[in-house]
Amino acid sequence: MKLSEDEIRKITFEAINELGDQITPEAVKELVRKRVEAMGGDYKFEKGDASSGRVILTSFGLNHPGIVAGVTKALGDANCDIQDLSQKLLGDFFTMIMVIDITSSQKDLKEIQEEMNKIAESLRVKIYLQHEDVFRYMHRI
Amino acid sequence: MPYEFEEILETIRMTEIEHFDIRTVTMGISLRDCHDRNIEVTKQKIYDKILRYGSQHVKLAKEVEAQYGISIANKRVSVTPISIPFDACSMEEFIEIAKTLDRAAGEIGIDYIAGYSALVQKGMTNGERELIRSIPFALSQTKRVCSSVNIGSTKAGINMDAVNMMSEVIKLTAEKTKDNDSIGCAKLVVFANAVEDNPFVAGAFHGVSEPEIVLNVGISGPGVVLEAIREAGHVDLQQLSEVIKRTIFKITRAGELIGRKVAEKNGIPFGIVDISLAPTPAEGDSIGDILIAMGVEDVGAPGTTAALAMLNDSVKKAGLMASSSVGGMSGAFIPVSEDMGMIRAVQAGNLSLEKLEAMTAVCSVGLDMIAVPGDTTATTIAGIIADEAAIGIINDKTTAVRIIPAYGKKVGDMVDYGGLLGKAPIMEVRTISCAGFVGRGGRIPAPMRSLTN
Repeated sequence: MKLSEDEIRKITFEAINELGDQITPEAVKELVRKRVEAMGGDYKFEKGDASSGRVILTSFGLNHPGIVAGVTKALGDANCDIQDLSQKLLGDFFTMIMVIDITSSQKDLKEIQEEMNKIAESLRVKIYLQHEDVFRYMHRI
Repeated sequence: MPYEFEEILETIRMTEIEHFDIRTVTMGISLRDCHDRNIEVTKQKIYDKILRYGSQHVKLAKEVEAQYGISIANKRVSVTPISIPFDACSMEEFIEIAKTLDRAAGEIGIDYIAGYSALVQKGMTNGERELIRSIPFALSQTKRVCSSVNIGSTKAGINMDAVNMMSEVIKLTAEKTKDNDSIGCAKLVVFANAVEDNPFVAGAFHGVSEPEIVLNVGISGPGVVLEAIREAGHVDLQQLSEVIKRTIFKITRAGELIGRKVAEKNGIPFGIVDISLAPTPAEGDSIGDILIAMGVEDVGAPGTTAALAMLNDSVKKAGLMASSSVGGMSGAFIPVSEDMGMIRAVQAGNLSLEKLEAMTAVCSVGLDMIAVPGDTTATTIAGIIADEAAIGIINDKTTAVRIIPAYGKKVGDMVDYGGLLGKAPIMEVRTISCAGFVGRGGRIPAPMRSLTN
């Protein structure tokens, strides 16, 4: 079982509160490990960067039926988890942004990008896939 | 949604429309352990070492490009200033080493390798003299090798003997590469206060205090700043500075991310991010256009130096906030041939060599990629180098001269290299002589500024 970033954060905060005055980095690590294992999750503390599997998909072009369907179907087929989706229409112009977790996909980012390029061509829209970190670095301190 | 719609679209706009890219990821490789008494063994050691560290450089950088959707314009390598580990070599042997560097660079798939260099601000060893003498031959017999010589520093003053030697070297390099518009000179930089971790070729080298191997990154992005300024409309200068800073902050962050990831993939330490605005000949990717957008009619108009000073300062302030690994040159570059806005200003007669010199006092780096008539005398070139070095050592900043006395050409002609080196109109140079001054030789003593202890 995979735990989400939020769940792990919650467990960590609980552990911090529970330890009170006896808090040390090792104690927190140990307690979190026990809790996560008790919940049946994978404990891999080294994999600290919880966002490492998330990519942002941006798509835009002239609106016509089937764009969202085409993109989401391909993502579903590749076993990608769509965590968030937002879209806007400005006149005839369509923009869609998705946050996707690709950790459980059998394909890597490059393969998914290639797949999306094909779909972009057939749907006559632009699709960009970029690792989440670039947005995190540019827009968050 | 963890990010605002507008934030995501802003990033996409920068990378897809406004030419935001990482200008260079430069791998610095120390060659200090490559010396051998036998020149053939030395050459083999150099070749093997560059291949050992660099063979995956281009491939891994391309993977990072795809992952983050930000293109990296150049993947390059810098090495220890060649004169240092191989001080015992003769001129002929240095040329052989240059050819080895060229071959290694070709093998790992990079366009330029830099560090065919000597640091002679205070004086020169026999090996350094040999290397400097070899430069015209090395640059005319190789394609990818770039050379630089540091002739002055705030701590040492200006080595006028080296300046005079370099002006002759530049003239000879121009002649030896005359069939290609004297392109050798585009790969030769004369520095004052050269920095050890500069990732920007042609002036890059892997300084002696640098580690075994390191990865440095140079950001770019004049197009992004230009758009932000245009969008801001008529605001006062403080607000304009804010607009520039906000933009630079974002591109510096992206630059550091890319640099760190490329270093991580290579399994080598990350060095610095150089927050220089580096133009390319692409339309809109121009420092000249930024200055015009700031409000001067054309580059060279009164007010240009002030505008550039403000731009340069804003770039530094935002870069410092964005990254704790700022290094290299970190300022705005104003290479004439690589910047459409600057080219237009020279062609229109609005930008003179003297105004350009004034501008170099407030930005990095110096008189960069300027073409002058082929009959410009060596002493005049020495005077131009000395003037530029003086600006550098007195203000405790890096300055450089990359000047092309284009063989057989005169004012009004053009040199055209294509690609990133671009094209340059031949600029007018004053012909009144400075031979009596530079011909004295010796060394201009270190300035007051050097006595900071």
